[in-house]
Amino acid sequence: MQRPDEQGFFKNLQRWLEPLLVPVLAILTAVILGGIIVKVVNGDPIAAYRGLIQGAFGSPRALSETAVWATPYIFAGLAVAFAFKGGLFNIGAEGQIALGAVFAALIGYALPGWLHTSLPAYIHIPLAVGMGMLAGAIWGGIPGALKAYTGGHEVINTIMMNYIALNLTSFLLNGPMRDPDPTDLSARTPEIAPSARIPPLFNIPGMRVHWGFVLALVVAVIIWWLLWKTTLGFEIRTVGANPDAAKYAGINVKRTIIITMAISGALAGLAGAIEVTALNYRHELGFSTGYGFDAIAIALLGKTNPYGVILAALLFGAMRNGATRMQFLTQIPTDIISVIQALILLFVAADAIIRFIYRIRAHEERVVLTRGWGG
Amino acid sequence: MKKFYTLMAVVLLASMFLSACGGAAPAANGTPTAPDCTKATVFCVGDVTDVGHVDDKSFNQSTWEGVQQAKANGTADWIQFIETSDSKDYAKNIDTFAQAGYKVIVTTGFNLTDPTYAAAKQYPNILFIGVDQGLQKDANHPDWPLPNLVALIFHEDQSGFLVGALASMMSKSHNIGGVFGTDAVPAVWRYGEGYRAGAAYEDKKNGTKTTITNVYHNDVGFNLTFTDPTWGATTAQSMIDKGTDVIFGGGGITGNGAVDKTASDKVLAIGVDTDQYYTLPEADAYLLTSAMKPIPAPLGVLIGLAKAGKFPTNGQYYGASGFAPYHDVASKVPANVDAEMQSLLKALTGGTLQTGVPDAKPQ
Amino acid sequence: MNGRRFAIIVFIIAIMFGTVVLVGISKNTPLVIITSMIATTIAVATPLTLGALCGLYCERAGVVNIGIEGTMLGAAFFGWLASIYMNTIFHFPAMPSLIVGVMAAVLTGGLFALLHAVLSITFKVDQIIGGTVINILASGITGFLNRQMFFGAGSVFHGNIPDSPGVLPTIRIPLLADIPVIGRVFIQQPIAWSAIALVIITQIVIFHTRWGLRTRAVGEHPRAADTVGINVIRMRYFNVIIGGLLAGLAGAYFTLESISSFQPDMTNGRGFIALAAMIFGNWTPFGAWSAALVFGAAQALQINLQFFRTLIPPQLAVLQNSYVVGLAPYLLTMVILTGLIGKTIPPAADGKPYEK
Repeated sequence: MQRPDEQGFFKNLQRWLEPLLVPVLAILTAVILGGIIVKVVNGDPIAAYRGLIQGAFGSPRALSETAVWATPYIFAGLAVAFAFKGGLFNIGAEGQIALGAVFAALIGYALPGWLHTSLPAYIHIPLAVGMGMLAGAIWGGIPGALKAYTGGHEVINTIMMNYIALNLTSFLLNGPMRDPDPTDLSARTPEIAPSARIPPLFNIPGMRVHWGFVLALVVAVIIWWLLWKTTLGFEIRTVGANPDAAKYAGINVKRTIIITMAISGALAGLAGAIEVTALNYRHELGFSTGYGFDAIAIALLGKTNPYGVILAALLFGAMRNGATRMQFLTQIPTDIISVIQALILLFVAADAIIRFIYRIRAHEERVVLTRGWGG
Repeated sequence: MKKFYTLMAVVLLASMFLSACGGAAPAANGTPTAPDCTKATVFCVGDVTDVGHVDDKSFNQSTWEGVQQAKANGTADWIQFIETSDSKDYAKNIDTFAQAGYKVIVTTGFNLTDPTYAAAKQYPNILFIGVDQGLQKDANHPDWPLPNLVALIFHEDQSGFLVGALASMMSKSHNIGGVFGTDAVPAVWRYGEGYRAGAAYEDKKNGTKTTITNVYHNDVGFNLTFTDPTWGATTAQSMIDKGTDVIFGGGGITGNGAVDKTASDKVLAIGVDTDQYYTLPEADAYLLTSAMKPIPAPLGVLIGLAKAGKFPTNGQYYGASGFAPYHDVASKVPANVDAEMQSLLKALTGGTLQTGVPDAKPQ
Repeated sequence: MNGRRFAIIVFIIAIMFGTVVLVGISKNTPLVIITSMIATTIAVATPLTLGALCGLYCERAGVVNIGIEGTMLGAAFFGWLASIYMNTIFHFPAMPSLIVGVMAAVLTGGLFALLHAVLSITFKVDQIIGGTVINILASGITGFLNRQMFFGAGSVFHGNIPDSPGVLPTIRIPLLADIPVIGRVFIQQPIAWSAIALVIITQIVIFHTRWGLRTRAVGEHPRAADTVGINVIRMRYFNVIIGGLLAGLAGAYFTLESISSFQPDMTNGRGFIALAAMIFGNWTPFGAWSAALVFGAAQALQINLQFFRTLIPPQLAVLQNSYVVGLAPYLLTMVILTGLIGKTIPPAADGKPYEK
């Protein structure tokens, strides 16, 4: 028998923990399963996870690197999540990121030369980043416009435009935008001007975390505000939930689809632009390997909610960052990280499995994340 | 009941974090524990790969094999690799070894040129070997040569030249081809141009007219261009359909796909980087030769020199170029062709014959 | 997929072929070029066609599957692994090893599909998630196992590359294969042949059998289907798994038919292109097949323009740039098929879980 006040305490604790419980248990289950896989192939799971956690959180520098990894994940995850909210599936974040990076780099290195003057940072940085966003917005907007006016499916067009973007990038980096320095054998742009560089948060050598990370958090809040507090957001969500109803409610569905895809593309372009202006200071081939596809998983893991995306991006960023140290200490292939990520996504999404394993009663509420292909 | 599980979950999670963060490490079973590399007497060698995998059957793997040889022959007490998953991690990964007290850090691929140079300046007491990193004194590298950084480089154009000459002499249809990854990588471009130059050289000498077709896999992203064997196979097949009878598969796994397909169509194939007689056994019966860029041997030499305190100070170390033995196809190679190949090899390595191929694709 | 549309697609492919013939005519006869283009087109289209058919079975029954990429990759690995084991460990001759390999690949595809079915149908998880999980999981697990089995002295094979049993032998169509030059088209490997056969079979199954009728009913109006006594859950399960088997066969193409080795992530995004082909084809087998052929032809165009690069007239010098030519397949496919097909209409209940 419990005394009433004790029960009250548990009730409060429970209410507080409730929303976190299933995701935490999902991660835990995925981690245990991953550990079993490591164990099966004669690895040491405890050492592996210690390495992973050390590498991700073990020092100020590790934390800084986790934030560096999470930054493009937040932007790209928001891009995909935003399109989902509008009932659209943007598989093209990969290409939009690449173009955002290329054009941010172009403004970053070439603009002072074109204008024959140096620019103050407070003008140059927004121009470079804005150009990256614009490139992404156009690259996302084209499939949006095709969807709105010809009915061409955004999934096929974003997939094709990924490849076109990657070819275009290769072409630009090997041709018109290539570093003219003859001693530079790499296919890459020149370095961007110092005035176009987003500074690091701390002036400590080795701490690379930059203001772009803060910007990512701010942008997530803006996207939340846009979606839930503005008319445009309402229209986007309505079109996403039911385009027919939206049409009868007097919403311009075509316009909304284009705007949704353009904003989604702009967010992805921002991911590329920030990587160039805050971290790499140039664009080179070999950049952006798979952010666009990780972004789909992050958007889904975050349940397409901007704040959820931040958490998911931090989790993925921490795992990718910590993987280096894990491999350094244990030689376990980093592919195991992908396996664990897939399991986390699986258990978070299929919370029925988790509720079954841990005997947690289900709430009868299902969040609709995506709307399939619906026309 | 629900409460109980909630509580249990919290306890479990907390205990996991505690056990993970703190506490004494139980000795790893199976994997030997790393020695303390910070001790002066412990000679540790680290290898940072380019973006990709250490088991890529290509240059990342060759480099790691060289490092492993240093362990096998007793030069190194401990070796370790870190696979880079994104170009922004180059510096971080090099730093992981530097902080752990590694004596030699090998970095693989010309994309790591700048991070390696920067790290060599930051850590003057650590020796760096940059595989495939053609450095010279210029605005970006004003202090080259650094006493603790050596670039291990190869004359890919010479190896390409040799196999091109052989292909030209062996082709009956006078149609030869090459299937490559992207030519944005200078080493790949040098292979391709050397191949062309070698065939043209023999044409001139023998009065033949050989058509050389080089196809590059430029239509995908940089991370996929060297790892697409299916594309390599399709491209090789297309060449064979049009009468090409010697195909050079140059460029990682993409090229391997071409070699594999070519040999299974009973057409002569030429491998790349290592003697692919051993790495692509399914192609053995039709593997004419391989354009050699043997990383392990010179890398082993450099690590040995590093330990002996005789690390080169001129910043560069050239690995040998050459071509692999004909193995199973030897009976088909006429004696005069082989004699010509040997004399070409001598002339190229001796410096009396130039390939005429610049270091990188002209812009 | 009506006759007019089919004629237009044939016409477009003919233009692509004709371009290459015009460029390469001074080097090869038109017949040789066309034959080679057809062969390349079929080779590129084979895994795309099978992948698209996988998507088609799933989506006709109302289940979106973006996990084709991962399913193919997983099947490519486990099929190849099975053939290696049969050949090297159990010392089977090459041919039975390959057959076991193909069976293992198909089975792997089925198992991945089962995972997707359990998630999407039983647990009613958002259907995009099941596919995403499969894509990440397949990439991770194949990369991880490939490393643990073949790399380094501590691995299962001690770092030696085991002898693979080679690739599936070609099958000749009698008489037709004996025609000079063009006969080459009638010499294909078994998976390429079965892809073509499966397009026809799928067309019949989906549109001319009771099974197909029920499948489409479940994908369009599951509730109505349920009221007339069709077991919605069961139909969806079976169709998703049939799709998985086909994607598994597509996986076998990579490691048992095209070449005889495995490479991490070797499917290289073809699963997504297959998905696109299915949508371009408006959820019909012939439509998906023709989209795959358009893409294959565009790839053949790209390879051959590089092949004949030196013969390209100077007025068209832009085509000598391999990066410009490289984006041609994707741009052409997008422009042609979007312009041609326009709005595509998915099954009405596609992507929606069924709740009684």
